[in-house]
Amino acid sequence: MPFLLAAIKKDLRRLGRDPLALAISFGIPLVIVTLITLVFGGGQSAPQGRLLVADEDGTLLSQALTSAFSREPLSKMLVLETTGREEGRRRMDRGDASALLIVPKGFQEAFLQNQPAQLQLVTNPAQEILPNIVEETLSIVVDGGFYLQRQAAIPLRAIAAEKTPSDDTVARVSVALNRLGRSLTKYLNPPLIDLELHVAAAKRENQNVAALFLPAMLFMGLLFVANAHALDIWKEQSWGTLRRLATTPVSMGALLGGRVISLAVILSGLALVGVAGMRWFAHVAVASVSLATLWVVLSGTAFYLFLVTIAVHAPGPRAANVIGNLVVFPLSLVGGSFFPFEMMPDWMASIGRLTPNGWAVTEFKAFVAGSAHMQDLLAGAAFMAAVGTLLFLWTSRRMRKLV
Amino acid sequence: MAVDSVSFAAHPGEIFGLLGPNGAGKTTTIGCISGLLTPSAGRVKVMGHDVVREGTAARAKLGVVPQEIALYEDLSAHENLAYWGGAQGMRNSRLRERIQQVLELTGLQDRTREPVKQFSGGMKRRLNFACGILHSPKVLLLDEPTVGVDPQSRVRLLDLVRGEARSGTCVLYTTHYMEEAEALCDHLAIMDHGKVIAAGTLAELRSMLGERDLLRLTGVFAPQSARAAMQQMDAEILQVDESLLLLSLAGASQKLPAIFAALAGVGADVRGTTLTQPSLESLFIKLTGKELRE
Repeated sequence: MPFLLAAIKKDLRRLGRDPLALAISFGIPLVIVTLITLVFGGGQSAPQGRLLVADEDGTLLSQALTSAFSREPLSKMLVLETTGREEGRRRMDRGDASALLIVPKGFQEAFLQNQPAQLQLVTNPAQEILPNIVEETLSIVVDGGFYLQRQAAIPLRAIAAEKTPSDDTVARVSVALNRLGRSLTKYLNPPLIDLELHVAAAKRENQNVAALFLPAMLFMGLLFVANAHALDIWKEQSWGTLRRLATTPVSMGALLGGRVISLAVILSGLALVGVAGMRWFAHVAVASVSLATLWVVLSGTAFYLFLVTIAVHAPGPRAANVIGNLVVFPLSLVGGSFFPFEMMPDWMASIGRLTPNGWAVTEFKAFVAGSAHMQDLLAGAAFMAAVGTLLFLWTSRRMRKLV
Repeated sequence: MAVDSVSFAAHPGEIFGLLGPNGAGKTTTIGCISGLLTPSAGRVKVMGHDVVREGTAARAKLGVVPQEIALYEDLSAHENLAYWGGAQGMRNSRLRERIQQVLELTGLQDRTREPVKQFSGGMKRRLNFACGILHSPKVLLLDEPTVGVDPQSRVRLLDLVRGEARSGTCVLYTTHYMEEAEALCDHLAIMDHGKVIAAGTLAELRSMLGERDLLRLTGVFAPQSARAAMQQMDAEILQVDESLLLLSLAGASQKLPAIFAALAGVGADVRGTTLTQPSLESLFIKLTGKELRE
């Protein structure tokens, strides 16, 4: 125990005396995000989001309903993606999309029979603009459906009454609808209400972009800090301190433990600043600052154990540096730490979510969105602790070979 | 094999020297004692603890001052000592007091808060030493601690080593500087090619050489005729080839004119002469036919 405390103090002092390294580790992602924000968030282009549709009815009416979102101008803002109810909910929990629309089975039948039908819309609380647009649009479509039901109930029921409508029925319904349309022409053409749609002010767009990019930036910074700390083991090797430690009664595990704990302490500070910054400076809705911060610390510590395991297997410090970067940069690119998954093609995002940082950043967004709770944190922590323990034991053994 | 059948015992309060040229196996021997290397055969015991089977207990009795400076350059002297004291299980007032003592002992008490990277080579060597003795070890392993040290720091370090021995510590000191070994060590083992080629007290080792001087002649020789000529001079021929003749003989300085004359008589051309009085160096040369620093 005296040594563990001494090792923690030593690493905290060393980390604290090199603030530039920490600043660079988080500075690079900040520069990248700033540039991307300027490119994607600085103009008047509409924000891009994803609408998941679980169409369990699969009828003409349900398709007509969802097609409302695939017409301009909404098609410029939203990418429609068909999915199942459960898969859609899982993806919403991960913060993958702006909203999920569930059209239940029997929707058309209920509509035509003037029976109650319930559409379910799940929105992403981490986003501000697009979920509102989806909600408003759906509300308008539902209102339109109500009036259609009132005005054209008889012909519509005629169709519903027959499983396969005859030519006569179709002709009668068409004539009825045509008359209805002509009777409404004076209201519809020219429109009595001229609605002009303005995309929200640039400030709000930037907020959305910040929500998209800040988690990515935070996790890229984590990877960089963890990698720098992992490579530091080779500095200990070159200074001979690792060899000297091997002549004392303490184990390499104690040294590694001290390094892990000191990094966790540093990351706690950085994570708190990062998450609080997201909430209070970038105005990203963060459901739980404490859970999100804890998750960042756990993730960063796990990244460190992963990267130090790689570092101690390198034949030398230079090779460790090269291998570390060869691991960190592709992981950053694919794992959503460089470009958010929302900007990636689906196939790449699917692969990216399987990477350690991809999984961690997805879970982090869930903590930010409030769709993940303490039990999710505990489950994730248990998984990381299990993997981390294996890596810890393996690396401790391997460090003997560096002396 | 780096070392082969090396066997010796060192006792509390004595300075045991391992003397030998670079690559003789001194550091490997230290590595086996300190637990850095596992011997393929044989046993090493420190204060009764087998270093392989009771490694932790054995290492708790050891203090090691490695050949290379092993310090955190970005930490201060005080912080380095606190860390290495922690590695030896020290803490609180005992650690604080001992840090103060060793800083004064090594003359670093005025530079305790400076980062080590700002220290001179000699100061780093002294701090390296201080980290090894901080926990008052029963056995102190010093692996060439004066390499690259200025003369002033060297004298100070040697005084510190003597002080440790006086306090009852068993000191194992490796060096390739004979004069250091002669001045410091109570017992010595001379190593070459991984083997102990001679061992004993300084007096015992000197007696192996007798009162005979070592005469080293360089030039051009015909080995057969040079050997025949020297047989008349009561000289032991240690080595002879076309360019070197190495002799061990008593009163060599008085016999030099006769030796030159005898060699000239058989056509030898002597271009250089080195006469060495009995010392560890001459013993090493006698035993191995080469100089210690080769």
